[in-house]
Amino acid sequence: MTGAVFHLPDLGEGLQDAEVVAWHVAAGDHVVAEQPLVSVETDKAVVEIPSPRSGRVLRLLAEPGARLTVGAPLVEFAEGMEADTGAVVGSLPEAAPPPPAAPPSPHPTTPAIAAVPAARARATALGIDLATIRGSGPGGTVTLADVERAATAPGAEPLRGVRLAMARSMARFRGEVAPTTVCDDADIGDWASEADVTLRLMRAIVAGCRAAPALNAWLEADGTARRLHAQIDIGIAVDTEDGLFVPVLRDAARPAEALRADFTALKAAVRDRSIAPEALRGATITLSNFGMLGGRYAALALVPPQVAILGAGRIAARPAVHGGALAVRRLLPLSLTFDHRAVTGAEAARFLAAVIGDLTRPE
Amino acid sequence: MTERTLVQAVNAAMTRAMAEDPTVLVLGEDVGADGGVFRATEGLLGRFGPQRVIDTPLAEVGIAGLAIGLAAQGFRPVAEIQFSGFLYAAIDQVLSHAARLRTRTRGRLTCPLVIRAPSGGGVRAPEHHSESPEAMFAHIPGLRVVIPSSPARGFGLLLAAIADPDPVIFLEPTRLYRAVREEVPDDAPPLPLDRAFVLREGTDATIVAWGGMVPEARAAAEALAQENVSCEVIDLATLKPLDEDTILASVARTGRIVIVQEAPLTAGFGAEVAARVAERGLLSLRAPVRRVSGWDTVMPLLRLEQAYLPNATRIAAAVRETMAFA
Repeated sequence: MTGAVFHLPDLGEGLQDAEVVAWHVAAGDHVVAEQPLVSVETDKAVVEIPSPRSGRVLRLLAEPGARLTVGAPLVEFAEGMEADTGAVVGSLPEAAPPPPAAPPSPHPTTPAIAAVPAARARATALGIDLATIRGSGPGGTVTLADVERAATAPGAEPLRGVRLAMARSMARFRGEVAPTTVCDDADIGDWASEADVTLRLMRAIVAGCRAAPALNAWLEADGTARRLHAQIDIGIAVDTEDGLFVPVLRDAARPAEALRADFTALKAAVRDRSIAPEALRGATITLSNFGMLGGRYAALALVPPQVAILGAGRIAARPAVHGGALAVRRLLPLSLTFDHRAVTGAEAARFLAAVIGDLTRPE
Repeated sequence: MTERTLVQAVNAAMTRAMAEDPTVLVLGEDVGADGGVFRATEGLLGRFGPQRVIDTPLAEVGIAGLAIGLAAQGFRPVAEIQFSGFLYAAIDQVLSHAARLRTRTRGRLTCPLVIRAPSGGGVRAPEHHSESPEAMFAHIPGLRVVIPSSPARGFGLLLAAIADPDPVIFLEPTRLYRAVREEVPDDAPPLPLDRAFVLREGTDATIVAWGGMVPEARAAAEALAQENVSCEVIDLATLKPLDEDTILASVARTGRIVIVQEAPLTAGFGAEVAARVAERGLLSLRAPVRRVSGWDTVMPLLRLEQAYLPNATRIAAAVRETMAFA
């Protein structure tokens, strides 16, 4: 027959063990709750351990003189006895449940983005709007890890360098300039196959500027004064992964060999990011040869104070009238965007006609 | 080898201080012939005599007043109050006089006394014997409040408290008196009374504890390490002045803090720690501050004691809650 084992209880005051001095009960005795079972001696005093329950003692599990640690088996009771309902102060029957308290008054709630402070601080530093982040923390709280993830997610990348410069100058363009665009094609079917498109376009721009000097000009920011330039400095748009660079080729009226060497050097400087800031400033007119990438015509964006930009679309073989008959010809689509505050439509048309006239020459 | 329990370390510190400085006195109820209710003053009467080890009447306000008078007259009294729950009777003397003597006399007098009292629960004691009143004393300007959590820190901090020129409330966690032994040499140096102790370094969460809660905090950190949660464990040791820098530096690294106090929740010292973090460390916080504490009720008697006391399980659960904020 086995029973319930009662262990040496925690004697209080941090005492860890006790020595059995004398048993006050023997195996087979009936005991009642709180009846002294055994005397033990601690570091401080001899204390009596009361029975935790009423019942019959089955076995004593420690001899007098034994040193027991707290929790060691002390005595075994026969099973099936009544449970202990006693307490030091006697029986404590449960009271009737108290009446419920008044419910708390409701608080108005303000909708707010839940985000931990470290996430708020990081989002502020990165310029990220917390409202764009879905929180993964408890209750949808935005955590620091959520902000770090958002910072590296596509679309949330802050603009830097030339991209930021482009964003600013385009916003300015939208606010100030009165852009107008005219389009036409140049028949280049007579070109030699090895012709350099960029060099031909630069030469054509020079011809256009000579025919219509109003396009090689700067308009003051307030739009009340213009500066006509004798020298033609062409900004040439160069696409890179980091954004749009527009290095300036000075004095485009120089011989083709010199222009080719300069343009090659400028492109190399853009590619290895060694281009000097002054090489990106001071263009009097711009060429965008976007046709190398695709697209036919475009309403281009002007960068003030310049008043004209010429776009060259994708060269393709198309049906055209040549020598009075329909033929398949290589056509170069052209778009000229000009600031109508500074340039008249007639000036623009003269410019474009001169450009086309130059481009259609075999060489 | 001089391995000591906390209560033996406290005894050794007083023995050394009395041997080195003849102005150090010990007084309190049953501290002489009986050696103190927890045997902390055992052997002192025999070694230093009844002029320096004084059994007082059962009147805590008298013990405090006597100690203040002695301190003002150039002695260094170490008064024992049998349990921190009996400190309430002495609090008028402590608050109105001990803590103010320096400012009242513009520094002409100081009050170099130590009031030692066993404190906290976990030893199945009757009412008034398991109190955690540290926040009340920390609120009083002019006092240092110190709570050791190991024999070595008990020894070093009590030596420093006795040498300190101002009043020190020295609360000894009763449950730790005999819980562990560790090497505490007789010539161990005093420990600073303004520094917290980083007991375990970690990177994910900071657990701040003091007194009897320190072993529970360490056990929680141990359990969490099995879940790859790395906890830093800080023993404040001196609550006042509070070593704010150690806490803030830790929170700057971990971004999460769980504060453990045995006392009831409301207006406990954990609230002060939380407020300091909110004031100076808020932007480091990756998760809400969590406190693990006793409940806002009278410390229950022995049968419900474990239901009241914070433990490693509750602390670990709180840390896991903070870890839910990635």
